[in-house]
Amino acid sequence: MVKTALEEFAFLIPILPALAFVITFFFGKKMPAGGAIFPILAIAGSFVISFMITLRMLGNPEEVISQSHSWFAVLNFGVLIDPLAAVMLSMVSFVSLLIHIYAVSYMSHDPGKPRYFAETALFTAAMLSLVLSDNILQFFVSWELVGLCSYLLIGFWFEKPSAAAAAKKAFLTTRVGDVMFLTGIIILTSDLLKLAGGFQDGTYLLRFDEIFSYIPQLSALQANIFGFEISHLTIITLLFFGGAIGKSGQFPLHVWLPDAMEGPTTVSALIHAATMVTAGVYLVARTFPMFIAAPDSLMVVAYLGGFTALFAGTMGIVMNDLKRVLAYSTISQLGYMMLGLGLGSVIGLEAVGVSIFHLINHAFFKALLFLCAGSVIHAVGTQDMRELGGVGKVMPITAVTMTIAALSLAGFGIPGTLIGTSGFFSKDPIIEAAYIFGEHSNNWIPYLFSIAAAFLTSAYIFRLIFMTFTGKPRSNYHGHESPAIMTVPLAILALFALVFGGLTRTGFMAFLEETFTNSFVNLNIGNLAGIGRNELIGTTGNEPLLILWLPLIVALAGLAIAFLIYYLRVVKLGPLASMKNPIYRLLYKRYYQHEIYTEFLSLGIVYGVIAFLTQVIDVIIDSIVEAFGIITVGVSEELRKVQTGVVQNYATAVIAGVGLLIILVKLIMEVI
Amino acid sequence: MIPLVFYLGLSALLFSIGIYGVMTHKNGIRMIMCIELMLNSANLNLVAFSSYTGTLNGQVFAIFSIALAAAEAAVGFAIFMAIYRMHDKINLDELKILRW
Amino acid sequence: MLPVASLLILVPLIFAAVTFLTKTKGQAAGLGFTGSLATLGLAIYAYLNFESSTAAMQFFESMTWIPSLGVNYSVGIDGISMPLILLNAIVIPLLILYSWKEDRESPNRFYGLILTMEAAVIGVFVALDFVVFYIFWELTLIPLFFMVNIWGGEKRAHASYKFFIYTHVASLIMLLGIFGLFYASWQQTGIPTFGIRELIAQFQFFESGLLKDAIFLSIIFGFLAKLPTFPFHSWLPDAYTEAPTAGSVLFILLKIGGYGLFRISLPMLPNTGNPELMIMMLGMLGSFSILYGALVALRQKDLKRMIAYSSLSHMGYVILGAAGLVTLSVSGAMFQQFSHGLIMSILFMSAGAIQTSTGTRIINDLGGLAKKMPKLTVVMMVGFMASLGLPGLTGFIAEFLVLAFSYARLPGFVLIALLVIVITAAYHLWAMQRAMFGVYNEKLGDIRDINSMQVFSMAAIALLVLYFGLNPSPVLNMMISNSEAIVSLAAALGV
Repeated sequence: MVKTALEEFAFLIPILPALAFVITFFFGKKMPAGGAIFPILAIAGSFVISFMITLRMLGNPEEVISQSHSWFAVLNFGVLIDPLAAVMLSMVSFVSLLIHIYAVSYMSHDPGKPRYFAETALFTAAMLSLVLSDNILQFFVSWELVGLCSYLLIGFWFEKPSAAAAAKKAFLTTRVGDVMFLTGIIILTSDLLKLAGGFQDGTYLLRFDEIFSYIPQLSALQANIFGFEISHLTIITLLFFGGAIGKSGQFPLHVWLPDAMEGPTTVSALIHAATMVTAGVYLVARTFPMFIAAPDSLMVVAYLGGFTALFAGTMGIVMNDLKRVLAYSTISQLGYMMLGLGLGSVIGLEAVGVSIFHLINHAFFKALLFLCAGSVIHAVGTQDMRELGGVGKVMPITAVTMTIAALSLAGFGIPGTLIGTSGFFSKDPIIEAAYIFGEHSNNWIPYLFSIAAAFLTSAYIFRLIFMTFTGKPRSNYHGHESPAIMTVPLAILALFALVFGGLTRTGFMAFLEETFTNSFVNLNIGNLAGIGRNELIGTTGNEPLLILWLPLIVALAGLAIAFLIYYLRVVKLGPLASMKNPIYRLLYKRYYQHEIYTEFLSLGIVYGVIAFLTQVIDVIIDSIVEAFGIITVGVSEELRKVQTGVVQNYATAVIAGVGLLIILVKLIMEVI
Repeated sequence: MIPLVFYLGLSALLFSIGIYGVMTHKNGIRMIMCIELMLNSANLNLVAFSSYTGTLNGQVFAIFSIALAAAEAAVGFAIFMAIYRMHDKINLDELKILRW
Repeated sequence: MLPVASLLILVPLIFAAVTFLTKTKGQAAGLGFTGSLATLGLAIYAYLNFESSTAAMQFFESMTWIPSLGVNYSVGIDGISMPLILLNAIVIPLLILYSWKEDRESPNRFYGLILTMEAAVIGVFVALDFVVFYIFWELTLIPLFFMVNIWGGEKRAHASYKFFIYTHVASLIMLLGIFGLFYASWQQTGIPTFGIRELIAQFQFFESGLLKDAIFLSIIFGFLAKLPTFPFHSWLPDAYTEAPTAGSVLFILLKIGGYGLFRISLPMLPNTGNPELMIMMLGMLGSFSILYGALVALRQKDLKRMIAYSSLSHMGYVILGAAGLVTLSVSGAMFQQFSHGLIMSILFMSAGAIQTSTGTRIINDLGGLAKKMPKLTVVMMVGFMASLGLPGLTGFIAEFLVLAFSYARLPGFVLIALLVIVITAAYHLWAMQRAMFGVYNEKLGDIRDINSMQVFSMAAIALLVLYFGLNPSPVLNMMISNSEAIVSLAAALGV
């Protein structure tokens, strides 16, 4: 009975890496390679289980694994593996496994290895638990654990002040999003309780199927905010999206992601590809039925995603740090995924398929890009592209694999054929969907964003390739190709970045769409969309030829420009790329975000003004309390002078008192 | 028989003299003597009422009171003796060590 | 069946008396530890024989004391008091272990006072008669006063007097309220009684709404000042900061303010003249405390003072959850008391260890301690993360329950509290970054990590924080049965 056996092992997917965390953390010091073997074995185990579940589910998607156990009060924890979760689980454990293997060599010289491997194991465990959670609270718990691990890992070299600061920034910025997410959960909880009329035995309040079954009622609840009638569903989904903005580095909470480079490069690879930033996209995908019934939220998702794709691209093009370029590229690609989801108001459930497909492919090529960058940094010792150049000669494998990743990222492929990189098969559907969205709703801005970002993507990634691998060395470095334990994961990832998209493109999206229709909760997406007055038409595939070819054309244009400037060096940028050019300066300074966020908002307003005022109030309150003491002491200081020590005075006082008493008694007697 | 009011008048007179003495004199010995005077005026009252009502309660009280007054005078004078030995003076307005 | 409730008071009290008589440090610490272990044993015995699913009073004992005034010595344990008794019984032995190797004058008094404190606090928790309650309530002042006054920091005299007088005045106002309750009930029924449950039951029959409000407000004032809450908190930063580490932890374990809130004030609340107003007032105090404590903590330079203000901020959840007046929000508030006791103990122990090692508590004078004190860093990290509400640790469970279930009644105040979560994270991380991470400040010289006993006691508390964060049910279930009873009272009156 393979089937039942598999289900019983499902809970092990996050538990194995969590156990590896405990073992490595406490006993890693005494093990060879810092105990790296435990996380690797554990994650390999998780991958095997996930992959077998995925394989089984490919045949019959309705066989969802769903297990729930009471946690506390009316809340539960549990396992839910449907097509969406299965695909994510396999990807996360697979990419994480490769990164762990790679890290054995990459981190070999670091004395903090046990801590590193323990924390990455926990990181993976948290992400896996997030993916397979069957309720929103467990989702949030894992979400926060992911945040904690990113904090610990970004600040891995905590003795470096910049690393400690970057870790703090990452935690705090994502925390802003987390609070929005939590607020959404709290409003949702409160609404569900109201709608369900209190607690009901046998149901767990925050399970996804429970939530989804209340979507129509949630949508009917109206709140009045500043005179606008907004449905509770819209508020909740927007707050959820706020969480996703923080975690997935969308504008305006993307500022932590480039700084997260302070951690080891393998950590960056984990964060950017497998374990952290995809959580936000996954959140929106997981709760997509709610979003589809709230068209305003979807519109926000689409616009913000598209804008982020473009906005991050503009910054990626001027960065000189190898890893920073990749970081902005991640933000930009995440923007694409969000855009894909946001288009759901027109293309319906296909949005989930399109977006998650890009997420998976992105995971492969982005992990590859980071690991290649790590390989370069490991060998050369610098990550400033101005000091590199000609690395391709000394590190041929790295150069080839990284070029494959770049091609995939830029989305090269021939429309209408089966020839193309993974990125091509997942990015083009998003751009096409944006076109259909524009055609249908006469709203072309997301499409323009996506096309412009495609051009920038190609330009900045080939700028990176040319600056790093071609030409002559611009500084004295001694490079060598990395050992096999590093290059083998590179090769595997390169293979996936090249062919995964092409091989799976037909089945993949259809498989993901089963998540909400054929299995699990059996939602009628058409009805839900009807609540939000959406019209689902799906992708038609009948776009004009130009639209199909346009992404490739702009990508080629980007490549050509990068080729001219950085390879042939026939076009000199000169004053264009100097601080005298205000646009360049604006981009290079990253739109002055540091100044606005850190110095103005957090330090200036919150810390400086509000906290200062509060402290003043505190001093005032304390002074009032102290004043009671001071007044009491002062008054008694004066009063005690009555005690003159002269007996006659006392005697006089006694007699005067007695006299007064007599008069008083007399008066009272008369009154009575 | 002398009416009660005469006794009371005398007692009030004695009491007032005592009060006057306590309030004006600075010498400790004199003050104690004045206090004795006040006590005795009270005793006089007690005895007078006792004879007026024909019960013995007042006289018993008076005897108690005399005994107490004796004890008090003894203690008081002893204290003043001690003070006199320490400070060489007995004027109470100069002895303000217990003030404040 | 042992008379557990009485023994829980008597055992530490007797051990305290004997500890006062000891001569050497070894004897004092050993005796103190034995006494606290014995108390822990009793508490565990009580827990094992405790029925969580009922709100009824268990281990009930009663003896007539002053019949003419209706004063009885009656004690008992229920789901409100059991977790708090456990909290005290668990942390106090660990606290004694933590301070085992510290050198200080008159150790006999030190350990004796710790045990006296344990007896007094447990006395408050088990008392079912207002007179017994008030006696133990005031008894808690004495060990704390001396703790601060004898072994405190530079401004110990000022801090100890301020704490004593402030909370004592508040207690006297509470006493007035108790007398009001007593006389009004006596007048009505003709039978004098000081029984807590009897008086609360009688409270609803009082005719004058004004009288009810006056009684309610004066009693709750005593609790709010002890809790404490904004704006009655100003004794807290001084006392918490000036106290020695053990004293700060004892302050943290002094959960009698919140306990009184659940035991006495909440059952009375629905019967007051204007319950809606009272709920709004409590909600406001709660959310303002949360906001205010966090904002002031953000600007503190002294690590211990920062923790003290963060404690104020966390206690706001207790009031907010109580004001939510829904079963799970009230349970969350009770759980916050329990969780706060554990978490803040770790934080104060960490701050104490840093001060002992480096000689300073000023955050900017520290730096890079993680390199020299790795063990401390790990436990401190758990404490800080729990304090900023990381899921998987107890703080999150409490905060989530309070926020999620108070929202229905007090949405605005809950939103304020939610905003504060970011600020809370900010000051915790800021302190962590400045004090523990970055380059080691060489001016501090060569410092030592915490000793093995300190590691043990702090790690044990950290493990409890983790355990109850993952599996809160053993404690939470007791609280739920009792909050249900409280809330059903309110629901019956349509509040």
